[in-house]
Amino acid sequence: MDELVEAFAERRPLGLEQAYALWSPLFLSVARHIISDRADAEDCVHDALLRVWRAPNRFSGNREMLKAYLATCVRNEALTTLRRESRHDARALKAARLAPVSAVDAPSVDPVETQRLQGALARLPEEQRIALMLAYYGNKTQVEIAKEVDAPLGTIKSRISMAMRKLHTELVSPEGSRW
Amino acid sequence: MTEHHVGEDAELYPLGLLDDDAARNVELHIALCSACAQRVAQAQAVAASLAAALPPATPSPALERRLRESARSQPSAKSRASLFPFALAAAFALALLGLGWQTLVLRERLQSDDVALVTMVHSHFNHVSMAPESANPVAAKILYARDGSWIYIIADKPGGALHAFARTSAATTDLGVLARSGEAATLLLHPRERIRSIVLQRAGTNVASAKLTY
Repeated sequence: MDELVEAFAERRPLGLEQAYALWSPLFLSVARHIISDRADAEDCVHDALLRVWRAPNRFSGNREMLKAYLATCVRNEALTTLRRESRHDARALKAARLAPVSAVDAPSVDPVETQRLQGALARLPEEQRIALMLAYYGNKTQVEIAKEVDAPLGTIKSRISMAMRKLHTELVSPEGSRW
Repeated sequence: MTEHHVGEDAELYPLGLLDDDAARNVELHIALCSACAQRVAQAQAVAASLAAALPPATPSPALERRLRESARSQPSAKSRASLFPFALAAAFALALLGLGWQTLVLRERLQSDDVALVTMVHSHFNHVSMAPESANPVAAKILYARDGSWIYIIADKPGGALHAFARTSAATTDLGVLARSGEAATLLLHPRERIRSIVLQRAGTNVASAKLTY
């Protein structure tokens, strides 16, 4: 097993510190996209990483899987915080500056990965792309998306699910890699 | 429980689109179902890719310092928390079986049984309610691996020591006594060959039985 993954899974401080050193900018970006306040966003990163590290799954994946898992935990932590504090204004504000991938020249966490992402998103059917972008970049709920695009809730779920699976084929799985 | 896969929720989960209950169900289910765990992991990888396009952010030095201090202030009680997901998974399985009374008890018990937890989490399993065999029966269920590699017997309010036996047309094999755990009693088995019939005895009297199908 990867040394970092092993250290993290065994709850050694080294595992947490290395994960933080490698990915904290990504995690903070994920949190700040949802919570505008910097201190609150840092709290989310702190709380999410510490919680997972204290009670880790028996993680048997690789380093990239651990990164993705932790990013998911940070995002869910931030969304939970947002919902708990009922910062609807903040959500609306974030939703208003939707879809950073459409801003080609905007700085991003990973410019190379962003280019790949833009291409993959562009190849999605429009209705799937819109649903996914409203969900991830707009921080909207399924219900909000359904209302916005005037489609049944089940349809929205299916569109997002399909979009994610297609993106996996394009961006993540080796056989689907075009780059 | 593994018949009820998470489906599209696998992709919604890493996006934070599920409510608390649905998210918890995904977390618990993937602890037991490798197929769904893989699907969720793939969706998490996509979500991480989506994050690449977010505006960059630089954490303050204070955050790293705080995280280090928090980590080092915690006891290194590896055994305390490292089994949590497995206990949770088992509790979820039991909740689905209508054994809510058992979940907390099981969690405590399983935290002390690493082997049992690892075994259960990495398995697909079936469950069966045990049929009463006396006027004073016991409410009990059996979870068992589809490959026959393990069997977990759970009895509610056993009302005395319960002894488990494997029963075939040719012989009856002693499987052991269920261990009391709060209001319940449980027994984990790793049989060498598939057991197709189990009977529970209390004071030498059959009180419940079940047939296992693979």
